[in-house]
Amino acid sequence: MAKVIVDPITRIEGHLGVTLETKDITTKTGTWTLVDKAYCHTNLFRGFEIILKGRDPRDAYFITPRICGVCHAVHGEASMQALDYAYGVTPPPAAVLIRNIMFAAFYCYDHMIHTYLLVGPELGILAKYPPMVPPVLGKEGIASIGLGSSYAACVEMQRIANEVVALWGGKAPFPVCEYPGGVTVKPTLDRIAGTLTRMNQVWHFATKTMYKDLMALKEQNAHIGEVVSTLLDINFRGLQDLGPAYKYKLSYGLFPDHENYDDWVKAQDGEPSRRKSAVIHAGAWDGDFKDFELGKIKEYVKYSKYDDSCTGLHPKNGKTIPKKDKPGAYAWAKAPRYDDKPYEVGPFARMVNTFGLNWTFEVTNPITGDSLKFEWQVLNPEGSVIDRVAARVAQTILFSTKAMEWAVELKQYLNDKIVDDRTNNFTYVPDNAEGFGLVEAPRGALLHYTNIKNKKIANYQCVVPSTWNLGPRDDMGQPGPVEKALENTWLPKLSVPEVANALYEGWGDTLASALVKLNPLFAKLNMEGEYNTTLPLAIVRSFDPCIACGVHIIMKKR
Amino acid sequence: MKLTRRNFLKLVGALGASTFISTYKFELQEVFAQAGDYWHICWLNGAECAGCTISFAQAVEPDLISILTEITVGTSGLPIALPDYAEVIHPASGSLAEELKEEVWKKAAMKILVVEGAVQNEGYCTVGVDENGNPKDFRDHVLDAAKVADAIVAVGQCATFGGIPSGSPNPTGAMGVREFLKKQGINKTVINLPCCPAHPDHIVITLAAVMIGAIPELDKYGRPKVFFGKNMHDELCPYRPYYDRGIFKTTPGGEGCRFKMGCKGPVTWTDCALRKWNNHVSFCNETNICLGCAEPGWPDKFSPFYKEVTELPKLLGMSAKSLGEGLVVASAGITAVHLAKRALTKGKKEKEE
Repeated sequence: MAKVIVDPITRIEGHLGVTLETKDITTKTGTWTLVDKAYCHTNLFRGFEIILKGRDPRDAYFITPRICGVCHAVHGEASMQALDYAYGVTPPPAAVLIRNIMFAAFYCYDHMIHTYLLVGPELGILAKYPPMVPPVLGKEGIASIGLGSSYAACVEMQRIANEVVALWGGKAPFPVCEYPGGVTVKPTLDRIAGTLTRMNQVWHFATKTMYKDLMALKEQNAHIGEVVSTLLDINFRGLQDLGPAYKYKLSYGLFPDHENYDDWVKAQDGEPSRRKSAVIHAGAWDGDFKDFELGKIKEYVKYSKYDDSCTGLHPKNGKTIPKKDKPGAYAWAKAPRYDDKPYEVGPFARMVNTFGLNWTFEVTNPITGDSLKFEWQVLNPEGSVIDRVAARVAQTILFSTKAMEWAVELKQYLNDKIVDDRTNNFTYVPDNAEGFGLVEAPRGALLHYTNIKNKKIANYQCVVPSTWNLGPRDDMGQPGPVEKALENTWLPKLSVPEVANALYEGWGDTLASALVKLNPLFAKLNMEGEYNTTLPLAIVRSFDPCIACGVHIIMKKR
Repeated sequence: MKLTRRNFLKLVGALGASTFISTYKFELQEVFAQAGDYWHICWLNGAECAGCTISFAQAVEPDLISILTEITVGTSGLPIALPDYAEVIHPASGSLAEELKEEVWKKAAMKILVVEGAVQNEGYCTVGVDENGNPKDFRDHVLDAAKVADAIVAVGQCATFGGIPSGSPNPTGAMGVREFLKKQGINKTVINLPCCPAHPDHIVITLAAVMIGAIPELDKYGRPKVFFGKNMHDELCPYRPYYDRGIFKTTPGGEGCRFKMGCKGPVTWTDCALRKWNNHVSFCNETNICLGCAEPGWPDKFSPFYKEVTELPKLLGMSAKSLGEGLVVASAGITAVHLAKRALTKGKKEKEE
């Protein structure tokens, strides 16, 4: 057994390393190294909940988005929904629409940037698909081998999507326009027009470029499976056999119905719910649709750097006593579990909890009348690199359409109120109250909990997507979803160009000449010693890790 | 107009990033043709959220792709600047990422260090491993890189002044890069580009300026005066006329000057209202209030955010003086703030001219 450490893992948010323990298998064609066990270690701690304590409850909306600058808008949204609940106020329809438009645009930016800038490059290499391989060499790189056309277009499109966030929120990252019970920005025709123009561009990118790129990956998939199967003499179907986690998938739901907000709130009450009136449903998929229940969440710390007395608690009662040198502990993140099982969260979990295993829907662009029928039959129900990418593409298509539909709908609410009557007096803060905010971040289920005492934050907690996915083993010994997904992954003793050549004759040579022109060291891309870590990296990135979110410590009593 | 260090500030103020770069494309190219190499950038991330990297990706005119493709070093086809190390976007991971930093960046002729995120006490942020296989503290990464860098640019509120991680009770001892280096005995200029996140225009223009040897003039907090020399409330805010007429926004859905909702414009020195954000579509005051994120002491001296600036000092138990230049006579009331600011600004302008 060898130990392979990859640290830092780049092209994710934050500081993450993984340790891979290897095992060898021998087949007819030779001896091959696979990942036996994987351990994720998260390497940054800032202490947000401690900083929040004692502040004006509304400050959480400005401070928590800074937990993560990639998924900036959703931390604000989660904190605001916790405040809505604690205040006992309901955002009026116009406010729900404005929030939805802003988040739909935000989601499009986030899924695009992830698909192309973060996880895309390795997929472009594996599928011999130049539009997704980044133009490392500037102009000449793009011109000489046609690298990165989709990659470059994505840089522009994510920017346009963020302009919509800024139209409503003031700026992106970190929009500022939400308020308990509503928003502070008025619906105006110029904002609506600005939204429609821009989302129309995003829609065309999503339905043309992203969809086409996804289909191109899918087309090469069987070939990748065949080559690897033949080479290793194993049964490997393709990218769907890369990174399966568990069958358990958790979603809190996304985009409440502006005319049925009560259905949305039920989940925050703790009632079993699927939030079926929302665009994306809540649920605890285990092979079939199951209601989500807030009470079933617990956090475990046996392998986290906290005192063992903190283990097995619901976030509301959670406590955190740091123990930096606890024997056996290897992560700052806790291990959240739902019904004591490790649930994967994120785009794939959202899709299965809403559409099951067959994602078929038709969208029509309300501006141009163009339409697209999206179809994706899940290739691996336990999740995989390609299914996760497909989920992001599906959601970019779906949400860019919705953003336009909501913008059109908002025209009917131009003169309506944008904040609950109770909070129209902006000096009002409840004396004592508490509330959960439950939303989906692009990376998955996000929970904020605020407890207000004497008009100040007495306790604030977040359970974020990346602890669900990247958290360590729990007290029962179950690896976290990413740790599980990395098991049995092939670690070729071949360089990236050699792997590319094995897949497509000459493709590796083309890549190699491009790579080393910038610097000869690039010949060692993704190599840790003799092992090529391209596949584990693609798996980790397919979960879109956000480590700043994952490690933020929860401290009830200091 | 020929570009010199002297007139750089004025030109940037007048032109903005896009015109600046296109106008001085040939000067830029000349510099690089002579050098025969590109500027090597090392972008370190400490106690951060990647928001500044994402903000940098929102740059327009030129956007990131044109920055990398339209101006090249001589006939090499290489861009004028490339990150040898940048965690959030770089192709390389793991040991290669660290090797590129050590072997390429540190040995390059022209190198810029960009830091995103605060520096904390030991043990709270590690990146990669050292030669003995132990986790390497972010503090050591910053120290090693700062020692050899030709220019150091701190981007965002965290890297400049400590930002949210340094918020009371500052559980991890977070501080800005300038303060950290000073404490470590390294006296190098750190160009501070605050705001949360840093503005992409500020980053692009500052990096371009550094590359042609025109270090912008800095204020006492290390911020380029060209971006942070004007008081937002007094000189730039489009809602200022409301203030002068006594019309205030006092409900989330209302209209008027944002002062009474807690807008921090009167004590904030930044060009947000002029430059705006995200391709110039908006800025915080258009949809809510200014939070004051360009200033040292943020967030504590500016929170609760929904409090009038005049009420903050006594609420926080701080002297008015510590809140920043704008609030010297805050207790005397709104008009006094206004007048004092005008006086301050006037003095400032005169000094500059």
